[in-house]
Amino acid sequence: MAGSIKDQVAIVGVGCTKFGDNFDQSFEDMLVEAGFAAFADARIEPERVEAAWLGTFSPYAGNGKASVSLADALRMYGKPITRVENYCATGTDAFRNAAMAVASGMYDVALVAGAEKLKDRPMRGLGWEGGHPYQHDGLTAPGVFAMAANRYLHRFGDRFGSGRAALAKVSVKNHHNGAMNPKAHFQMEVSEEQVLNAPIVAWPFGLFDCCPTTDGAAAAVICREDMARAFRDDYVLVKGLGLAVTSGRPWYDAANEYVGFAATRAASEQAYRMAGIRNPVAEIDLAEVHDCFTWTEISNYEDLGFCRKGEGMHFIGEGRSALSGDLPVNPSGGLKSFGHPIGASGVRMIYEVVTQLRGQAGGRQVRDAELGLVHNLGGPGSVACVIVLGRP
Amino acid sequence: MIGITGYSIYVPRRRMRRELIAAAWGAPAMPGCKAVVNFDEDSLTMAQSAAWPLAQSGGVEALAFASTTAPYWQRSAASLIAAACDLPAQTATADFGGSLRSGTTALRAALDAVAAGSVRTALVTAADCRDGAPESAEEALFGDAAAAVSVGSEGLIAELVAAASRSDDFPDEWRRDTDAHVRSFASKYSLTRGYTENVVAVGRGLFEKAGVQPEQIARVALASSDGRAHLAAAKALGIPAARVEDVRAGDIGIAGAGMPLFLLAQALDRAKTGDLILALAYGDGADGFLFRSMGDGARLQADSATIEYPTYQIYRKLREYWRTSGGGAEISNVLLRREETQNVRLHGSLCPQCGLLQFPIAKVCGACHRHGGLIGKALARRGRLFTFTKDFLYNAPVEPTVMAVVDLDGGGRFLCQMTDVDPAAVEIGTEVELVLRRMREGPGDHYYYWKCRPAPAGTGS
Repeated sequence: MAGSIKDQVAIVGVGCTKFGDNFDQSFEDMLVEAGFAAFADARIEPERVEAAWLGTFSPYAGNGKASVSLADALRMYGKPITRVENYCATGTDAFRNAAMAVASGMYDVALVAGAEKLKDRPMRGLGWEGGHPYQHDGLTAPGVFAMAANRYLHRFGDRFGSGRAALAKVSVKNHHNGAMNPKAHFQMEVSEEQVLNAPIVAWPFGLFDCCPTTDGAAAAVICREDMARAFRDDYVLVKGLGLAVTSGRPWYDAANEYVGFAATRAASEQAYRMAGIRNPVAEIDLAEVHDCFTWTEISNYEDLGFCRKGEGMHFIGEGRSALSGDLPVNPSGGLKSFGHPIGASGVRMIYEVVTQLRGQAGGRQVRDAELGLVHNLGGPGSVACVIVLGRP
Repeated sequence: MIGITGYSIYVPRRRMRRELIAAAWGAPAMPGCKAVVNFDEDSLTMAQSAAWPLAQSGGVEALAFASTTAPYWQRSAASLIAAACDLPAQTATADFGGSLRSGTTALRAALDAVAAGSVRTALVTAADCRDGAPESAEEALFGDAAAAVSVGSEGLIAELVAAASRSDDFPDEWRRDTDAHVRSFASKYSLTRGYTENVVAVGRGLFEKAGVQPEQIARVALASSDGRAHLAAAKALGIPAARVEDVRAGDIGIAGAGMPLFLLAQALDRAKTGDLILALAYGDGADGFLFRSMGDGARLQADSATIEYPTYQIYRKLREYWRTSGGGAEISNVLLRREETQNVRLHGSLCPQCGLLQFPIAKVCGACHRHGGLIGKALARRGRLFTFTKDFLYNAPVEPTVMAVVDLDGGGRFLCQMTDVDPAAVEIGTEVELVLRRMREGPGDHYYYWKCRPAPAGTGS
């Protein structure tokens, strides 16, 4: 029987760089900016941090490899630092580990940072790292999700008309939200027509169905719940945590229906149980979910229990996940518009939910936000991390 | 009695119309089209595809590969083909090359090995993909193809009546170790003194050896160097053109070392019981055989699917690409060796508890989680498309790259690239076959793995 750390850990400071083509910032520059922003937000001296977790997915040119990447950036030496890598769930899993360490009583105050510098690379777009050198030759990140999307559309696409049009609505919504976010990579609206007519990246995904390749870093300072008020009144509590891992080679599983992600279903069940959530769509006020591709967000609605399998296209079509809907999803603009520096994304989602729960989200503020959900989905939908955050 | 126990051909699906080549150079066009390898094919992969149907009949104890365009100077293509055909490690493998008659030289060696009692069944597979220099006559003339023949002493399709050879170091066509393209003294002298003199001498020698008259020959499989010379040679041997196999210059092209066995297979397929077949191949001398058909042919499975290159530029790009591209990872021989059973022989694991056939090879069952005792089992090389994508992001010589998830006949789900397909025709449920192809080139090596392609029409699993 899994235990619970509900209401034992508080987020007292968050920081985030502008996401985008940060050509003039190094990996360390971004970590410094996000880290010290989080320290300032928590009104804490860096020396008070007792332990840190760094989430980075893909080290390059000496950056992001092991704990030293954070130690050297912040000049934080002699303390326990752990680097976490868990595909695109890297940032949330780093947070999850830090939260459990604080809840255990081992540390009073900890730092979680996520960073990724993708724009220094010679590659175009997100390749497929870590796969077998020729068994998996030909796979790309969009291709991996496109194979699932095509199966999904084959099975459910006809139910609500054109499947690609439903996918496009996710892009339109997230760009709309991102246009109101000064830290987002792309602060611009797109039309459904633009999305549908964009060049194809991996069928059925066009350019505007795919999140961009982005630089960025985000950080959070967490502490024991009973210390939180010493830092600030509007702290945010960890209500639920879940992490679930399924096969990293879903294409070989003949039992896989290939229309969604069991990892998200299992991780959200864990998090909902800890948080005491029985009816997610009614209880959760906003969700930052992993929209690496438009269809992924549609599957997320279903896998997170916002609606039934096959009805996600309806959920977007009816505007239920819009800012004005009954469960706004990705008010930040999501990966689609905010960008997706992989290790940073999960921590950036936490940054957005904390900002929303504090009521500081400006034009994209979700009204009366009390309970927010964060969801990362990594690999070919194999690693899911769900975090529920709430006001005290 | 020894002879032929099976035959098979492989023609790449890509076609290049000669008028497009001619137009690129402002030259008069040769008629027809030629068959050409896709960017992921070479002589090894074509020869493996030709050998596979014959290897499946079992009992193959030796495998020979013949080509003038083997992908390696040092590394046995025959051994890789044997593994990809899932033949046992004790298979005697041999590589033949150096001459356009290397296929028939290998065939003679295989027949001799069977006659000597050294092996019971031997498989000979030959292929060529010779690249003519841009703007040369060879560029339009040469085509790519493969054929395989199995020989033995039981279950004969055709009995060997006689074999003969002739050695003649006559310099009419050659390629040095440093040359990318064939060089030649193309002239009437070369044709008469080289080609005609050698094949006629061997043909007449066979008539004498077997005590047969030219009019007894029902079919002649006479490989041609230019699409015409074989007719003159047949005439000199006293055989009318009607009995000479079409060398397929008009729809395949002059297929190098693959051609003699290809024409032999074609002749055997058209033969009736009792027909005498004369097979002749030229190259630095000549090889010849007389076979007597022991059945009526019509055993070849037709693969009518073709894809035309729309322009000369695309053809040229892909023709260069498969020889010169890079970008793949360097892979250790430790990994390659450890995964040979899985990745080359294409074995998965069968769970004795729940019956799940799974790929890759597993120690713990993916369904019932039984630990240990899973049984190695070859996967079927046929299946249906479960899902796919058409990926324009992946850096490939032709876009999009089609990635396919395939449910294999008899169990196992597989991920691979799809090749030889018009992307517009890809849909869930498409019947596919797995074919060995060259993957992204490593910094210092070729890597071979499986792709899928639409199954030939009318050969349902």
